[in-house]
Amino acid sequence: MSIYESSVKRPIMTSLCFIAVAILGIFSLFRLPIDLYPDIDTNTIMVITTYSGASASDIEQNVTRPLENTLNSVEHLKHVTSKSKENVSIVTLEFEFGYDIDALTNDVRDKLDMVSNSLPDECNTPILFKFSTDMIPILMLSVQAGPSMPALYKILDEQVANPMARIDGVGTVSIAGAPKREVHVYVEPAKIESYGLTLEGIAQLIGADNRNIPGGTFDLGSQTYALRVEGEYKDPRELANLVVGSRNGSIIYLKDVARIDDSVEERVQEAYNNGVVGGMIIVQKQSGANSVAISKKVMESLPKFQKTLPSDVKLGIIVNTSDNITNTVNSLADTIRDALIFVSLVVFFFLGKWRATVIVLLTIPLSLVGSFIYLYATGSSLNIISMSALSIAVGMVVDDAIVVLENVMKHIERGSEPKQAAVHGTNEVALSVVASTLTMLAVFLPLTMVTGMTGVFFRELGWMVSIIMIVSTICALSITPMLCGNLLKDSKEEDESKFYKMVFKPINKALDALDNGYAKILDFAVHNKKVIVLGCVGMFVGSLFLGKFLGSDFFPTQDNSRIKVSLELPNGTGTDISRALAKKLQKRWTEEFPEIRVCNFRVGQASTDNLFATLQDNGSHIIEFNISLYSIGVRQDSVESKVPGHKALGLVTVCDSMRNELYKYTQFKKVNVALGGGGGMGGQAKVDFEILGHDFDKTDAIARELRDSLLKIPGCGEARISRSEYQPEYHVEFDREKLALNGLNLSTAASALRTRINGQIASYFREDGDEYNIRVMYAPEYRRTLEDIENITIYNAMGKGIRVKDLGKVVEGQNPPTIERKDRERINTVSAIVAGGGDMGKLVTEAQKKIDKMAIPAGISVDISGDFEDQQDSFRDLGVLAILIMILVFVVMAGEFESLTYPFINMMTLTFAVSGVIFALLISGETLNVMSLIGAIMLIGIVVKNGIVLIDYINLNRERGMKIIDAVVNGGKSRLRPVIMTTLTTILGMIPMAIGTGEGAEMWRPMGTAVIGGLTVSTILTLVFVPVMYCVFANTGERRRARKAKRKANNSLPESNS
Amino acid sequence: MKSVFITFDEAHYEKITDVLEDNDCHGYSYWEHLMGQGTNGGEPHFGSHAWPSMNSGIIAIVEDEKVDNLLEDLKEIDENRPQLGLRAFVWNIEKCI
Repeated sequence: MSIYESSVKRPIMTSLCFIAVAILGIFSLFRLPIDLYPDIDTNTIMVITTYSGASASDIEQNVTRPLENTLNSVEHLKHVTSKSKENVSIVTLEFEFGYDIDALTNDVRDKLDMVSNSLPDECNTPILFKFSTDMIPILMLSVQAGPSMPALYKILDEQVANPMARIDGVGTVSIAGAPKREVHVYVEPAKIESYGLTLEGIAQLIGADNRNIPGGTFDLGSQTYALRVEGEYKDPRELANLVVGSRNGSIIYLKDVARIDDSVEERVQEAYNNGVVGGMIIVQKQSGANSVAISKKVMESLPKFQKTLPSDVKLGIIVNTSDNITNTVNSLADTIRDALIFVSLVVFFFLGKWRATVIVLLTIPLSLVGSFIYLYATGSSLNIISMSALSIAVGMVVDDAIVVLENVMKHIERGSEPKQAAVHGTNEVALSVVASTLTMLAVFLPLTMVTGMTGVFFRELGWMVSIIMIVSTICALSITPMLCGNLLKDSKEEDESKFYKMVFKPINKALDALDNGYAKILDFAVHNKKVIVLGCVGMFVGSLFLGKFLGSDFFPTQDNSRIKVSLELPNGTGTDISRALAKKLQKRWTEEFPEIRVCNFRVGQASTDNLFATLQDNGSHIIEFNISLYSIGVRQDSVESKVPGHKALGLVTVCDSMRNELYKYTQFKKVNVALGGGGGMGGQAKVDFEILGHDFDKTDAIARELRDSLLKIPGCGEARISRSEYQPEYHVEFDREKLALNGLNLSTAASALRTRINGQIASYFREDGDEYNIRVMYAPEYRRTLEDIENITIYNAMGKGIRVKDLGKVVEGQNPPTIERKDRERINTVSAIVAGGGDMGKLVTEAQKKIDKMAIPAGISVDISGDFEDQQDSFRDLGVLAILIMILVFVVMAGEFESLTYPFINMMTLTFAVSGVIFALLISGETLNVMSLIGAIMLIGIVVKNGIVLIDYINLNRERGMKIIDAVVNGGKSRLRPVIMTTLTTILGMIPMAIGTGEGAEMWRPMGTAVIGGLTVSTILTLVFVPVMYCVFANTGERRRARKAKRKANNSLPESNS
Repeated sequence: MKSVFITFDEAHYEKITDVLEDNDCHGYSYWEHLMGQGTNGGEPHFGSHAWPSMNSGIIAIVEDEKVDNLLEDLKEIDENRPQLGLRAFVWNIEKCI
């Protein structure tokens, strides 16, 4: 017994099976985490090797090169890049996507074992470090503080950071911008010298004095007591009375030679939120944890933390990455809802019967819910890809059910009872339903095999749509006939209601008119084949010419309301200047752009225990802005309430104008405005021009020339050179002879210098369970000039003090920049950002022209990579995929028709889909990117379905004995409605995607647009072109057959005569 | 005894077995799938791509007096749903065991 027969005969079992699937699906849905993208395995491994005392070029020669040479042979390696700077070598291995990173790590470790012997002896063992997306902070909180500022670190650490880190899933919580308390002992050099004291001596004394020492136990009568010496300071002020020596019988106290300053660290990163000084709390998640769930928990606990804080400390949100994720997923959910409404309306409009509509629409939730089980089983999430797969599928899952229902209704009209009609009606179309699903699978299953970055994203899309299509076919072959058998009425019993007559009579009339009109067009077309064919070919060729005007990109730029601006002033610029400049910019931007919700910036050198800050560039000359705009859904309203009548700007426009403004400040050495907060996808496209060559000067010169000419190209918003310039610094060059004569060596002399300038941690001041550094150093006023440095006294073992100027000289020097290498060659990268309405394709073409004109010396080459390389890789992958899919679709069709001609006719309609895609993208102003290409690839399956329906029916008519032209016209007329209906469900299902304005809509808009454009144009033309081509080929076939028959007859004639 | 051979669109099957039952004709043989076409109009039943519907066939050996009634009932079914198609043929049974 077939599946549909048993379904019709056992309605309870069938319904319960589907109810079980639905329950499992809903159960899975509620357990699915929400995320932005499917899980992306990290593909990068860093090998960090330290080699103290080696310069950048030593590191390059002795550490980086041997490492690169060995690691280069690891399998699946895409690129090896490296950075060699003073003391450290960082080799980054980038692998092809989609391989198990743990296995690769083991391979790398094996290779490292091989090479470790050939590294210099003093070199430390290389450390492996896997970079993953988990390191991107999920939450950035702003802290505004008033009088509590000096104690902010402690307050935040105790009241917020520690309890927050205990929340399940939270990884690291770092505090930035809040300085830590530190007790400074500011020594006056002249005074200690005159008393014959040394800084080291004072530090030692403080260390020895600030101690609690247990003295053992002793018996007092019958009791045993512990003896303790409690010397630890209760108050830092006690330090002032520490005796540091005696002179001529009088005691010298510490306060005589130094100033005790109980304040905060000297060098600290400062954070400003909307112009108010304060701090920042950066929350990172544990690896593998779900960001939305964690940030929800953290956000829920914020009011609780706020209550425990002093009244002047206010917590706020700078960036909450989960906002973007939830908004994006919600806007996709809206898209699915709208698609569902559209599809329901179309089905109802065409079928005109509510029972039939319900039967067809029921397959949508059942098929979609089935895919949630898949997501849950594979540990995936509700993300952009899985949700857009649902949105795509809504319009397509009804097709099979419609075909089945239509045939069952035909049987009922002929007089069958609904149950019998359900079985026999389904039986007749089961094969073609399966075949049409196979064509869809031929498109979506290969998507799961794409490699590279695109593959990571579209594997899930492929699986989701494939599973949804399979489930929808199973539905169409089981629950649809079952419901038809039970819900549809016998043709005799059916009476038409007043409402039905009022609404559907005119609709039916209109549809009949459409059928007749189409039949006339078709009649004209089959009698004027040449005109039609030439017209179609002309349109296709014309559209290809128009295609030249189509821009190309990698991924669409997304408005996630985040901007990260990194600015670099000349090296050595003081924090004061950076801060003043940053404040000025902050003020300007907040006035100029009412779209800004929070404008946070950080300046200054971060302390080494700030994990988040140390991972990034920081220094007194670096300014880093984190700007959040109002999210796109509420932006217009928020802007309106601030500045009435102002039209809210998009993220791209804001970034572009910021960039233009920043380029007016000549003092910035590097400017980077990263749309979307940097990292991940959806930012503005970045093209890297890699200048490969050994010579620093030559590559630098080319980089500068290239940067300047790139900036002149319209559409290039930003161009920056990766290699820094030589950094100015002061070197103390000790004369070794003089050092030896004075009984000193270089290490003692250097460490004495460090103690005086950087300070020495003498001891810890303990209070309330916390300990703070007691740092002994020269008072700030004695380390401000070069003379101060030269006058530093260094003591030798005999206690004789010698000044630095007597031991050597202080000279201005330059620190060579970090040496960057890629694929074992020195590299200097000029990164250009596509902005101002330009597109990547044009920028690259223009840049290539400029590069061709440049005089590039031998041994130096310029390669283009970055997003452009990824785009080229993805386009190539998708191109191969498209060919594979076409072959598979052809095979399926050839199998179904048992002919090579008809599939060939059908495949020709794909050219119109290409024209449609080009028209739609041009009209909507979208570019050719990975998303629109995916849309185009999906079209291969969707478009041929119309052709299949048409050709199938024309064949049927011919088998029933009609002449070719009659068969074509009649077939076209009778199949017009199903074709229009299934096409409309697909197109209308995509419309919410194509016109969506919600958060993240930019991402799938090109895909929706491509599908709608391609499908509309190809459907209209298929309806005319396919019948015409059918006539051409069928006539030729007939003539050939006639000739053959005639020849046979002629041949047999003489034989019979003989 | 007469033999009644009924060929019909397979959708009629349940109705026909009911009619046989009503007429007290318990014994019959049944072919689920039969192919064929009528002499005067009607859609051919070939189970093919062009003519996907199928016939079934039932042969029942019934007492002479039941035949007329049975044929009348069958005619009613046929007239109710003329598009499906139903024919019945009667001939004599000479001998049986």
